[in-house]
Amino acid sequence: MRRAVLSCAALCTAIPLTLTACSGGGPAASGQAKPTADPATGGTVHFLEKPDFSHLDPARGFDGGVNNFYRLIYRTLTTREAAGPHSDGTKIVGDLATDTGRASENNKTWTFTLKKGLFFQNGAPITSQDVKFGVERAWDPDAGIGSPYAKQVIAAPADYKGPYQSGDLDTIETPDERTIVFHLKKSYPQFSSVVAQPNFTPFPKGTGAKAAFDTKPIASGPYEVANYRRGSSLELVRNKHWKRSTDTVRAARPDSFVWTFGLDAATIDERLIAGQGKDINAVGPKVQPATIARLQTPQLKQRTLAGVTGCTTYMSLNTTKGPLRDVRVRQAIEYAVNKQTTVDALGGSALATAATSIEPPSIPGRDATDVYPSKDGTGDPEAARKLLAEAGQSKGFTLTVDARANATEQAVAVAVQQGLKRVGIKVKINTIDTSTFYEVIGTPSQQHDAALTGWCPDWPGGTTFLPPLFDGRLISDKGNSVLSMLDDKKIQKRIDEIAAMEDETAQNEAYGKLDAEIMKRAPIVPLNYSKTVLVVGTNIAGAHTSISYSGGIDLVGIGLADPKK
Amino acid sequence: MATTTLHEAQPSLPSPPTGAAPPGGTARRVLRELRRDIGAVLSTAFLVLIVLMALFAPLIGTLAGHGPDTFDSAAVDKDLGGLPKGSLGGISGDHWLGVEPQNGRDILVRIAYGARISMLIAVSATLLTTVIGVVLGLLAGFYGRWVDQVISRLMDFLMAFPALIFMIAVLSALPAGNRPVLLVIVLSVFGWPYLARVVRGQTLTLTGREFVEAARASGAGSRALIFAEILPNLRSTIIVMTTLAVPGYIGTEAGLSFLGVGVTPPTASWGQMIANSVSWYQVDPMYFVIPGAFLFGTVLALTVVGDRLRHALDAGEAS
Repeated sequence: MRRAVLSCAALCTAIPLTLTACSGGGPAASGQAKPTADPATGGTVHFLEKPDFSHLDPARGFDGGVNNFYRLIYRTLTTREAAGPHSDGTKIVGDLATDTGRASENNKTWTFTLKKGLFFQNGAPITSQDVKFGVERAWDPDAGIGSPYAKQVIAAPADYKGPYQSGDLDTIETPDERTIVFHLKKSYPQFSSVVAQPNFTPFPKGTGAKAAFDTKPIASGPYEVANYRRGSSLELVRNKHWKRSTDTVRAARPDSFVWTFGLDAATIDERLIAGQGKDINAVGPKVQPATIARLQTPQLKQRTLAGVTGCTTYMSLNTTKGPLRDVRVRQAIEYAVNKQTTVDALGGSALATAATSIEPPSIPGRDATDVYPSKDGTGDPEAARKLLAEAGQSKGFTLTVDARANATEQAVAVAVQQGLKRVGIKVKINTIDTSTFYEVIGTPSQQHDAALTGWCPDWPGGTTFLPPLFDGRLISDKGNSVLSMLDDKKIQKRIDEIAAMEDETAQNEAYGKLDAEIMKRAPIVPLNYSKTVLVVGTNIAGAHTSISYSGGIDLVGIGLADPKK
Repeated sequence: MATTTLHEAQPSLPSPPTGAAPPGGTARRVLRELRRDIGAVLSTAFLVLIVLMALFAPLIGTLAGHGPDTFDSAAVDKDLGGLPKGSLGGISGDHWLGVEPQNGRDILVRIAYGARISMLIAVSATLLTTVIGVVLGLLAGFYGRWVDQVISRLMDFLMAFPALIFMIAVLSALPAGNRPVLLVIVLSVFGWPYLARVVRGQTLTLTGREFVEAARASGAGSRALIFAEILPNLRSTIIVMTTLAVPGYIGTEAGLSFLGVGVTPPTASWGQMIANSVSWYQVDPMYFVIPGAFLFGTVLALTVVGDRLRHALDAGEAS
C-alpha cells in the first residue's frame, strides 16, 4: 500500500489572516506561458508546503509526496516515465538498468544490467553491489518500514535482518559490477514495477546506519541535498556527477529546488494566487476547498492544474461485528450512503468523483459497474429499507465509525452519518488521532464496526489493489489491511488463480471482474475517487500532474519558463 | 476570556445596609432603573431572543424545514468547491440566514442549536463556579487563619496558572466522551477563584463590622452569622459577578471550540462555526459574519446588562 497522505484542512490550520493579499490575479495573463509549456534550463523552483517529508531515507519513506521527491535525488533500477504531454507517467522504463529486466524460470528469476557512467554524488561509481546493499536495507527492522514489496517478493531466509545485522543476502546475486540477479519466492510478472519502488535505491556498501540518510542522503539522481533543516526548509542543488546521457526520464531543468515547510494551507493558497516576488516560481500542495471558487478567473484558470490521485476513499464494514455479519445489512448500508455528500465534504466535483467500483478509473481492466446503483450515487434508501426489513433490522441500530481527527475526515464522517440516518442507522463517530489512526484500525481487536479510510495502488493494476484489501489470509493481529475481516475462500481461490496468470492485461481484466464479485459481499463502501487541483506560479513550466504520485506535479519535468525572473 | 473580564469586574464595596430594605423593594427599584436604560432594555431583549431561540431550536428547525445536521446538496455549488449558491452565503426563502459551504446545512437552525450548547455550558459553568466560589470565599473570609491560608494559596495557584493553555492541553488529552460536561468542569476549575477572592475580601470586611459584632455578642452561632448577616450583604456582589461571568464563559467555550478542543462535530457550536468559516472568509464572508455577530451580540448584551445591574445596585446602596 502506498500510504494515502490527506491534506489537513481548516481545524488543524492556524488563522490565515493574510488580509494584505488584495491584489488578486497577479501579473497580467497576456503573454503568460502555460504551466505545461517546455521549461528552460536554470533557475530555482520553490515549493510551499505544510508538512515536511516523512523521511529522506528511501527505505523508510513511502507515500505519494515523498516518492515523487525521491526521483530528484535517487535513481532505481527501473522507474516510471516522466508525466508529460504525451505520457501519463505510469509506464515502467529502465533507469539505472538498461531495460525493465529479463525474467527467466517462469518469472521467478530476474536479471538487470546497469548502464555505464553511473555515479554517486561523491564521484564513486554505482555498482551492482551498491544496488544490492540498498535493497537489503529493506529487511532491516528499523529502516525497512517503507515499501513492503521487496520483502514480500524476494526470497530471503526468515531470520534475515538486513545488511547491518545479518550481512549479505544470498538470493540477490551480483556476478559482475554491472549485473544483478534477483531470486523470487514465486513467479511475479510485475517485478519490473517492484524494482521501481524507492527502496531499490543504491547506496555505497556500509553507509546509512542509524537513519543517517534521513539527514544526509547520498544522491544518485541529478540533485543532492545542500541544506536541510527538518520541518523548516530543504534545498537541492545539482549533483555534478549525474550524467544526463544516462538518464532518459529526468529533464532536470532547474539549477536548484527550495522547499519551505510549516506554512498554513490557506496561506499557501493566498500566496500562490497573489503571486508576488519569488512566489511566481512557486508550487503548492492541493488547494483548499474554499479556494476552488476563486480559481474561476481566466488568469488563474490558466495556471491551475488538475489531476487524479488514483486513490479510492472508502468505508470498511467489519464483517465480524454485530448486525454487519448479515450480508443484507451491509448491502443496505451500500444503498443508504449518499456518495455525493461525501464528494461535497472533500470539496465538490473538482476534488472528487462519486465511486462506483472498488478500483478507481485509473486502474487498467477496471469494470465500472456499480453493484448498488443509484441516481448520481446519492443512494437508494428504499432498497436499503427493504434489505434491512428482510434482515430483521428495520428498527435500525447504532454503527460506530472510526474517523481521523481532521476537518476533512470529520466532514466525510458526518456525510456518511446523514446518509445512514435516512434508513434509521445511527452512526456514532469515533474520532481517532491522525497519527495513530492506521495503527488503531489495523488492529482488529481495537477497530469498531466501520472505518473511513482510503487506498492508493502502488502501480496501476489490480495486483496492488484487491488482494491486500480482501485476501482473508492476510488478516493479522497488527498492521492488518483487510479491515473488513472478510475471510472468503472463493475470493481467495480466485486471487490465487489471477496471480498465476502470465498475461498482465488478462490479469487486470480478471481483477476488474473480481471487483464486482467482492462488492456483492459488501465488505466496503467505495465512497469516492479523490482528485487534486493545484495552482502554480506564473513562471512555472513543465508542470504535469502524475497519477503515480497521488496527483502531484511530476518533479522530474518541472522547471521555469524564464529562469532570470 | 473569563479571566480578564472577571478581574476588572471587582464591584465597589456595598455599604452595610443598616436599615435593610425588604428584598422585594430593592428588586423593584433595580428593575425600574434598568427599564429607564435603553441599553439595558435592548440587551435584555436580545438575550430573551437568544434564549427563546435556544429553547425552541427544534421548533425553528421544523419551521425552516431543516434539521441542524440535515444536508442540502442542492443549495451548494458542487463545481465551485461547495460554495453556497446565490448571493450572501445562500440567503433565500428556504434558508433564511444562508447555508454552510460544502454540505448546505442551514445556518439559522445551527445557530439556534449552537445557542443551546453555548448557553448550557456558560450557565452551568457559572452556577458551578458561583457555588464553589461563594462557599470557599465565605469559609476563607469568615474563619481566617489556616482555612484562609489553605484556600487563598489554592486560589493563588489556580490564578497563576496559564488557564487557556492548560484547558487546551487537558481537553485534547481527555477521551472524546461527553464534551459539554468536560468543558463545564474544566471552565469551573479555573473560574471559581475570581469570584471566591472577591467574596473572601468582602467577608473579611463584613465580619469586622458592627452589626456582625452585635449579632455575635447577642449569641448568634457561626451558621446564623454567615447565612443571616454576611451572605445577604454579598447578594449584589454575587449577582453582578455572575452576570459578568456568563459572557466570559460563552467566549471561552467558543474559543475552545474554535481551537478544536470544544464540542465535537456534528454538534453545532458557534465557536466551531467560526473556526470552519475561517478558510471561507474571502468567498463566503456571510458564513463568518452571522455566527460572529451572534456571538458578539450575546457577549455584549450580557456585559451591558451586568454593568447596568451593578450600577443600579450600587446607586441604590449609596442612597
